[in-house]
Amino acid sequence: MSAPSALLADGRSLSARLLVQLFIGQCLVLALHLPFMPPWLLGVALAAAGWRFLQLRRRLPRAGVVLRLTAVVGVLGGLWLQYGGLMGMQALMGVLLGIYLLKLLETHDRRDGRVVVIIGFVTLTAAFLHDQSLLMSGAALLAAAWLLQSLVVLAGGRAGRDAWREALWLLALSAPLMVLLFVVVPRIGPLWTLPQADQAATGLSDEIAPGDIAQLSRSDARAFRARFDGAEPSPAERYWRVYTLSQFDGERWTRLRPEQHAASANQPVSRFVQEADRSPFDDRTPRYVAELLLEPDSRPWRPSLGTPLASDARQRYLADGTLEGLVPLSSRGLLQVASSAAAPSYPDPAGPAWHRLLPQDANPRSRDLAERLWHEAEGDPRRYLTALMARFGEAPFRYTLSPPTLSGRDRIDDFLFDTRAGYCTHYASAAAVMARMVGIPARVVVGFQGGERHPDGHFTLRDYDAHAWIEVWLEGAWERLDPTAAIAPERIEQGAEAFLGGSDDFLADAPFSPLRLRELGWANRLRLGVERAEYRWQRGVIGYQRERREALLAGVTERLATLWSRLGQLTLGDALRLVAAAAGLLLLGWLGRTWRVRRAGGEGHQVRRLQTWLERRGHGPLGGESPAAHLRRLAPSAGPAQGVLEGVAKDLERLLYAPLSEAERRLRRRRLVRQLTEIKRRWPRRR
Amino acid sequence: MADLSPMQRLRDWWQRRRLSAAGQPLGAQRLFLLPTRFGVIWAVLIPVLLLFGINYQNNLAYGLAFWLFAVALVSLWRGWRNLYGVRLTASASGEVFAGDMARLNVRLSAARRRHALRVVLVAGPGQVAAAEGEIDGGELLLPLAIPTLHRGLWRLPALRLESAWPLGLVRLVAWVDSGVELLIYPAPGEPEEGAARRRGPGLAPQDFAGLRRFEPGDGPARLAWKQWSRTGVLSTKVFSLPPRRQRWLDYAACSGAPEVRLSQLCAQLLDYHRAGDLYGLRLPGVELAPASGPAQRRRALRALARWPATTGGSDL
Repeated sequence: MSAPSALLADGRSLSARLLVQLFIGQCLVLALHLPFMPPWLLGVALAAAGWRFLQLRRRLPRAGVVLRLTAVVGVLGGLWLQYGGLMGMQALMGVLLGIYLLKLLETHDRRDGRVVVIIGFVTLTAAFLHDQSLLMSGAALLAAAWLLQSLVVLAGGRAGRDAWREALWLLALSAPLMVLLFVVVPRIGPLWTLPQADQAATGLSDEIAPGDIAQLSRSDARAFRARFDGAEPSPAERYWRVYTLSQFDGERWTRLRPEQHAASANQPVSRFVQEADRSPFDDRTPRYVAELLLEPDSRPWRPSLGTPLASDARQRYLADGTLEGLVPLSSRGLLQVASSAAAPSYPDPAGPAWHRLLPQDANPRSRDLAERLWHEAEGDPRRYLTALMARFGEAPFRYTLSPPTLSGRDRIDDFLFDTRAGYCTHYASAAAVMARMVGIPARVVVGFQGGERHPDGHFTLRDYDAHAWIEVWLEGAWERLDPTAAIAPERIEQGAEAFLGGSDDFLADAPFSPLRLRELGWANRLRLGVERAEYRWQRGVIGYQRERREALLAGVTERLATLWSRLGQLTLGDALRLVAAAAGLLLLGWLGRTWRVRRAGGEGHQVRRLQTWLERRGHGPLGGESPAAHLRRLAPSAGPAQGVLEGVAKDLERLLYAPLSEAERRLRRRRLVRQLTEIKRRWPRRR
Repeated sequence: MADLSPMQRLRDWWQRRRLSAAGQPLGAQRLFLLPTRFGVIWAVLIPVLLLFGINYQNNLAYGLAFWLFAVALVSLWRGWRNLYGVRLTASASGEVFAGDMARLNVRLSAARRRHALRVVLVAGPGQVAAAEGEIDGGELLLPLAIPTLHRGLWRLPALRLESAWPLGLVRLVAWVDSGVELLIYPAPGEPEEGAARRRGPGLAPQDFAGLRRFEPGDGPARLAWKQWSRTGVLSTKVFSLPPRRQRWLDYAACSGAPEVRLSQLCAQLLDYHRAGDLYGLRLPGVELAPASGPAQRRRALRALARWPATTGGSDL
């Protein structure tokens, strides 16, 4: 008999060992939060645990009301200073963590211990609001297992291996039911709005000045991932459109929201944007169907390969051929978009005049150049643009991520005639201005180009894949024109990473990025493997929302229906074969069971093995000595194994001579076999 | 049976329904699940986590909520399996006088390991005994000590075998009818003044005559503490007394309420036995011939314990 290790001798107070367990559980839960939370919370945890430790040692009194209140106020004050208020998401999580950590101060009996574990589960769940990555899920599983095993100890189980075994059994046995519930339970929308975690805006913004996108190339943050159903576009076709920018003030290109457009053009909003699940502006058949796994972002942007034509959920279709979600994504989301790979073939309701607007009197040298080229092209827009592109492709222009800074009123002039160095935004901006100067409607498109293709077929688009190009209105359709392709075709063909990899500014803000290890074969393979697992996790588990659930369940029902109809078509021979197979399985199970019983009953064999084991240690049986006598003779000198040895000897004799019922016989045999291993364990190692 | 009220009948049925027999493996029909307060908190926790999942569209929160729900279900089964098939037997050990602690040996046995078992005996307010342990290696012996109140034959109420293992969400409970009947001897009272006086001068024990084994009821002043500390065996010093006449323990010779008289008789009986006297016992309707020695002591004490004490018979 052993006293339950969770409690002290008074039968109420928690033992130091259990408090340590609770504290480790707190540390595990805290570890999930710490990358996102102020590090001084770790100090709070240590302070609370230290107080409890000293108090158990009778060096400090129990934490009274005053101390506990002071601690709570201190934590709240710290959070206030940190976040400038307590109502934000992060601050609320900090409050929850603070309560959880300070609760240890007033944890004295079994009930308090259980309350700590319960708060632990809530705090653990709150950590999922920061992140739902594979790493976070694994760490959360570990923390949950720890909390469960401390519950087992609280319920009176023996601490250590026993408690862990039980906790793991519980988790393993309940996993199938969990998976079933996860798949089957319907997903409903938010019941009420709660404070949201602050999400950093990634990548693109609604306006660019030359110089913006170079910042993005310094980061390897993931923008989105894509997988194609059916055909995949060639590298030169991978232009993901996100925004079009049509307003130029001489310095920056800005985007007008459709509502602003409609107001300034005095037209109904529905001409500029419509909520639908397929494009109201274009009814071509899609060329590519892409499934996007989008990262959370504060803006509702949704990339599409060329013009979006249809989607699996309602979206805002904009008349400039881009797509917007109805709400920003607070967590990763899946979206299916069917699209053409080309620019829109329908006019922008803002009209061609809007796309020709330029500031007056700026950039005189460019204007002269444009007039000369236009004259040489004899008024043919296509020839004019070809000549422009050819000019960009000529020697003095170069592609660089750290070009000289442009300032002043005539930036386009400075770029085209003086610095002649820049990257996609510079060239796109200059090309669009040049097109507008001769009256060709043009706009700048911001999006992503390229992306890393993984061996399993999905693409990852990162911040450094951000790109800008232009679209011009020619012969009743918008046409994509990428000046960068003229200057640096490798950027388009091989992707940003391959092209920019050597540049100093590339990934400058991500010094520890695993992408830097691309040269090492194994490291790159490892990185790709981790990214693939992460992608599958995000797509299959985290992105399992309403539509995916319906699709999956429909598939399952269909399978079942076909199976059922096949059962109906079974012939007599098939049925007989099935029955025979089932009977065979049953027979196998029965044989296995008998074998186990026989093995459990084979105590003679086991005892002989134990005797051999003892003989090797110089304690073999004497001539003519029965096993029972042998063990009994050794017992007095066997130290901790003495009791077990005597028990085995007695059991052996009873099994041989006593009239026992079959059930009791089996019970004793099993016990005997267990005790035999126990002897080996307890046998003194050195004597 | 016909005059039993429905309530009474229901209670009887419940008694029969819930009790398991001692020595038999606990059956599925006799294991009961009672939710604990912690179980209720757990039941609140799961919807809270689910709301987290719904409002933040967070699939990991969904997953954890489902997992904790599934773990709770599995823990019911694990807890049930922990108690299922355990055998409980109980036996009384030693003799007990009313007001003393009765000692019980509870033996739990099972082939598999069983965790955090607790045996509780509740006989009335303040009459509670509990002990816990785990079965590892076939069986577990738990001693229980419960205060007794009255003289007479006491059939112990059902023993409660319970366990909140593995998570404390529910308590698995089985009530086992141990079948133990305790014969509780009367509490030795103050011997009646007359009896003490009748001993007379010169009859008090004076000369040390030797040691004999301790028997319950021996006065602490006579215990041989030195020998006990040396040998670990508790003995009583015996003093020689002058040879005595044959004595009678007579109910009619005492005064007071029946229980008081029985207590006095008990005290005298122990006294006489200690002194090595020959004594007989006369109770209304019962008579024991004079004799001495442990057998006589036992016979007489049992007679005192069993004697029907009804208030109506006090005038005898």
